[in-house]
Amino acid sequence: MMSQRTAILFVLPALALYVAFVGIPILQVAAYSLFSWDNGSVTGFAGLANFARLIDDSVFWTALGHNGIWVLLTLAFPLLIGLLLASILAECSPRTIRVLGAIYFLPRTIPLVVAGIIWGWIYNPTFGLANWALDMVGLGALGGAWLAESSTALYALNVVGAWTFFGFCVLIYLAAIQAIDPSLYEAAQLDGASWIKRFRFVTVPLLKPTTLFLGLYAAIEAMRFFDLVWATTQGGPGYDTEVLTTHIYKTFFLVGDFGYAAALSVVLLAIVLTVSGVSYRLLRSA
Amino acid sequence: MKQLLKTRLVASTMLVASIVPASAETVITQWDQFATSGITAAGPAMDELIAACEKALPGTKILRTVVPSIGIRESYRLAVSADKAPDLAYTWPAASVLAGYARTGKLAPLDAYYAKYKWDGVNAFYRGRNSYKGSLYGVPMEQDLMGVYYNRDLFKKLGLEVPKTYAEFQAVAAKVKEAGYVPIAFGNRDRWPATNTLSLILGLTAGRDAEEKVLFGDGSWNDPAFKKAAETIADWATQGYFPRGFNGIGYDEANALFLGGRAAMTVTGSWVLQDMARGAKFDLGVFMLPPIAEGVPAGTMWGEGSQWQIAAGAPDATKDAAAAYVDCLISPEHRQIWVEKGFLVPIGTKAEDLAGWNTLPAVKEFYAEGLKTPDTNFYDLHTTLPESVTQVLYPELQRLVGGDATPDDFLNAMQQSWSKAVANGERWQP
Repeated sequence: MMSQRTAILFVLPALALYVAFVGIPILQVAAYSLFSWDNGSVTGFAGLANFARLIDDSVFWTALGHNGIWVLLTLAFPLLIGLLLASILAECSPRTIRVLGAIYFLPRTIPLVVAGIIWGWIYNPTFGLANWALDMVGLGALGGAWLAESSTALYALNVVGAWTFFGFCVLIYLAAIQAIDPSLYEAAQLDGASWIKRFRFVTVPLLKPTTLFLGLYAAIEAMRFFDLVWATTQGGPGYDTEVLTTHIYKTFFLVGDFGYAAALSVVLLAIVLTVSGVSYRLLRSA
Repeated sequence: MKQLLKTRLVASTMLVASIVPASAETVITQWDQFATSGITAAGPAMDELIAACEKALPGTKILRTVVPSIGIRESYRLAVSADKAPDLAYTWPAASVLAGYARTGKLAPLDAYYAKYKWDGVNAFYRGRNSYKGSLYGVPMEQDLMGVYYNRDLFKKLGLEVPKTYAEFQAVAAKVKEAGYVPIAFGNRDRWPATNTLSLILGLTAGRDAEEKVLFGDGSWNDPAFKKAAETIADWATQGYFPRGFNGIGYDEANALFLGGRAAMTVTGSWVLQDMARGAKFDLGVFMLPPIAEGVPAGTMWGEGSQWQIAAGAPDATKDAAAAYVDCLISPEHRQIWVEKGFLVPIGTKAEDLAGWNTLPAVKEFYAEGLKTPDTNFYDLHTTLPESVTQVLYPELQRLVGGDATPDDFLNAMQQSWSKAVANGERWQP
């Protein structure tokens, strides 16, 4: 058994790295938000003026709304699909589980930028696979410029997000289902419960902590995703796929307004920390 | 033994010291965006000229970094904010952003070098675009023009002539559409292409004087000529001049649509001449878009797009060496290399020079047309507006051409952003 002092000594290098690469940059960004900047140069102390600008920034509110929609859609679809697929998969042979599990998980291993490029081609209005497939089945009239129209852009993009996330949900759910005591299913089966009833009254309730974990993980990810949007639409058309991270990127790198970008980042950090805090409490109580 | 070693060490140190030349070389760190294909594909010319200029300027060594044009403005901004800017940089966008760096004291004033090297070929228009509060901060080199590339073979097949008036242009577009082709290959997913198209249309509806009243004077974006420009670009979209879903098509994809023969025209700039000329499997032609409003003189959007700039923080000797090197790069005897190896036409090049040099016919044709109207050529919006306004222009223009905003909505959003930028002192004025 190692002494507490030795344990702390082992932890110290990692802690030092964490402070250097996470703690200090966060403090630095918080400090940036208190100053006004011009093209990357400090021009004066601004107090909380950068935060006051948030109130009138319609792009910020639009972006925040899109993040909210993204959270809801992510909670609705990838989790549901993941749960259903994992429940079905759990009844298959170990070999099928291994093969299909790997296939479902594959999109998760693709970097989001690459996923964005692939789906950009699929959605392309002139040569995209989506419109071509609709044409092939006689539904060409339903085709559209998926990422270029206000009515579809955010949802089309969310499909890509769901595609990259559902495989992760399948694996986590699958592991959780496999940990459920098989005697519970046997008892339910002896009582004449159908597959649907076993799923509803045994699987779903026992997976509550897993669902909670995945849901909160998805919510945190949905607040901080960037690469997918930047690789496909850059927040467009107009502001239709603008999210907080793209707004921060443009304000920081393109406009050079480091102070306001930092204020936006602090707000985003506060949101993510709040979600994380709530998730921690919920997970502990579950 | 120890004594012997000591003696040998001293002797060898003296020998090394005697080999090193008395005057050490001046190393200039350089960032530029000259790649070998795509936008600004002047990489081969840059390589050749670095070798030529290092030879012409003994003691000068160029340490070059190629930064892709798509990300150079972000990279340069970060470098500047960290006081790690390269000694010499060739970046876009020009004018307004350059002024931003000059305003914060990050760039070296170049007036003395302009006088020393007699860079008189840089005319008043270009000098203005590289000035801030009366001092020069950039050395423009290339001329970027906007024009209409067209597929001559397709025009012949459809019995079309190059339009001389805007009404003829509209008739050509209508006939192309009727024949089942895309009139104008246009993709605005990257957000900036529509800005160039609008800049061209604006110059041909408002004219340079009216533009200057708004951009440098007290005029408003709600000016009727500006409204006409917004209505015109929105009309091109609603008339079906552009391909379906153009806000979801990339700039390169739009060019591919044109080069693949599926579109009759594309409205873009000279910066993509190399790809156009090499990629076209048909007879490639270029014409200038005719004036749109009555009484507006013919012209095209032009500008340097990018410029050489020297970091204020560089040592004086490095600044001097960088200026001498820039003088070498832009010297008249090197123009031919830029044109022949880089498809880049330096400022001061005349149409008759081009006629005698070994370059593609499309290059000669493009510049011969553009250089006919130097006094009436007009501004490129996204190098003229402050970045905060540009970042409103991009999405608002996507909304306008996408049919999600009216011309009035667009102009109101622009005016609001413009007023804020002017109040913040962000406006660039020559």
